[in-house]
Amino acid sequence: MASFDVMPDVQLYQPAELDDALSLADRYATRGWLLGGGQDTYGWLKDRAKHPQAMIDLNGIEALRGIRESAEGIEIGAATTLRDIIRDQRIISDYGLLSDAAASVASPQIRNVGTLGGNLVQDTRCWYYRRGLSCYRAGGNICYADTPDAMNREHSVFGASRCVAVSPSDTATAMVALDATMVVQSIDGERIVTAEKFFVGPATHITRMTSLETGEILTAVRIPAKWAGKKFYFEKVADRNVWDFALVSIAVALSMDGDTIGESRFVVGGVACTPHRLRNIENAARGKSLSDESADAVASMASDGASPLNANQYKLPLMENLVRRAMRA
Amino acid sequence: MDIATYRNDVWGREVLLGVSWDLLWLVCVVALVVIAAHAVYMAMQQRAERPSHEGKRVQRHEPIDRIMHWVMAISILALLFTGVLPIIGIEFAWLTLHWIAGLVLTAAVLFHIIRSVLQKDLMSVWISPSDLKESLDDSQKPGKYSVAQKGMHAAITVVTLLVIISGLFMFAMIDTPWWDRTNSLSESTLGWMFLVHGLTTLALIALIVFHLYFTLRPEKLFYLRSMIKGWISEEEHSANHDPERWAPDESA
Repeated sequence: MASFDVMPDVQLYQPAELDDALSLADRYATRGWLLGGGQDTYGWLKDRAKHPQAMIDLNGIEALRGIRESAEGIEIGAATTLRDIIRDQRIISDYGLLSDAAASVASPQIRNVGTLGGNLVQDTRCWYYRRGLSCYRAGGNICYADTPDAMNREHSVFGASRCVAVSPSDTATAMVALDATMVVQSIDGERIVTAEKFFVGPATHITRMTSLETGEILTAVRIPAKWAGKKFYFEKVADRNVWDFALVSIAVALSMDGDTIGESRFVVGGVACTPHRLRNIENAARGKSLSDESADAVASMASDGASPLNANQYKLPLMENLVRRAMRA
Repeated sequence: MDIATYRNDVWGREVLLGVSWDLLWLVCVVALVVIAAHAVYMAMQQRAERPSHEGKRVQRHEPIDRIMHWVMAISILALLFTGVLPIIGIEFAWLTLHWIAGLVLTAAVLFHIIRSVLQKDLMSVWISPSDLKESLDDSQKPGKYSVAQKGMHAAITVVTLLVIISGLFMFAMIDTPWWDRTNSLSESTLGWMFLVHGLTTLALIALIVFHLYFTLRPEKLFYLRSMIKGWISEEEHSANHDPERWAPDESA
């Protein structure tokens, strides 16, 4: 595969108003490319694996930036950088799960330009797919990562349907754990979709990872006050401590009633094409305290229903241990 | 407009990917034009007196055959909806529904084949040279099935068998309760399977549209009734069929 230092010939639009961006997204449809921080984009284009005609740069749209408080919680513009999220005192104090997740993304340089929206809608890191091969996700008839000799150490253990790619987003798990909702706009109007439904698996959409339709833009994320100030736990396991994607990560939100766990969210990243919610753990944890005994009692349930591939069976004990650590915290 | 689509494999070689789904719109347009032309032609013809459905009845389809017909019809429609809707942009978790419907269709077809060979007059539905006279001579009445019905049956049989066979190859490539996905076919073989499956799907869409249209034509509605209730009247029988070529059971 050819890889170039220079960008391909592509028409660049830098709208200052959201309406203009929506019109451009509608006009160019599948020929257009929405640009946030560009940290996923530039690799695709320089590798010549994607060939958009027009790039719509969303960074100049003020309405897409910033963190706003509302009666229901907070709203974060999709073009807000990860650095701004990490440094925001309201998020640190009330939604520490998100700031921890955002702080685990890649490297400081990337977080300085990478946006929340870009981190949420980024494409999978399956290297067969990103190599530009005609796999299922690229519209072909085969999954190169799911063959006996395939290098599938990073791939899914849950929810595979032909394609075995995983979601690479660190903030996605936190958003599902915080019951966030996504504000999606197009020239036809606005729709609100829960984070859990925003991310979609290959059984439904094998060529994309979110429910964003052509011409739609993720404009903001709303996090309800329900989880503000609750107990959180985030941990990401990767081959390197910086500039790497999660092998497995976990985002946990716990509503404590004294020493007892009430409602909770256990969401695992790096194990499925979407953030994977461990509902059986959530049910089992209710009424238990945070302790080694509780952790040991529920941790093994994390891998229920998993179908590991040849090279990623290690993800099952890793996932169980992350649950165990979250329950001990 | 292309018939097939191609992609590059790992080695940069061009491999067949499958049918070009642009053909879907062509098939729909052609089918609707043919139907419209036939409807206009029939409207200009002198309307013949329709035989009464009153009076004595004769059996046209046994209960088991009617049940199997509707099982096949429902499974084919389920296959078309689950297979084609995602292609035109209505996406949902279709794959499991699709292969379950495919297995139901396969079982129903197998049952139909075995019953037709062992228990029924197989030749009554297959086109023979003597049927050609019927299409040239208006006074010649058919046996149990007209040439058009035999032609439709033959076409649907061939297309359905091809779509099932190609579908079974693709079925082996996905997870099921009985085996894990294998990825054992080469890309080019898979491409051919997808092409056959796609082309036969398009043919099936056209055939189903024609079948529905002719089923719902006013002068043919008694055949639909017979596929639901099992019988036609003696008057309908004598007006549309040669009693010497088809002597049905009168115990309906």
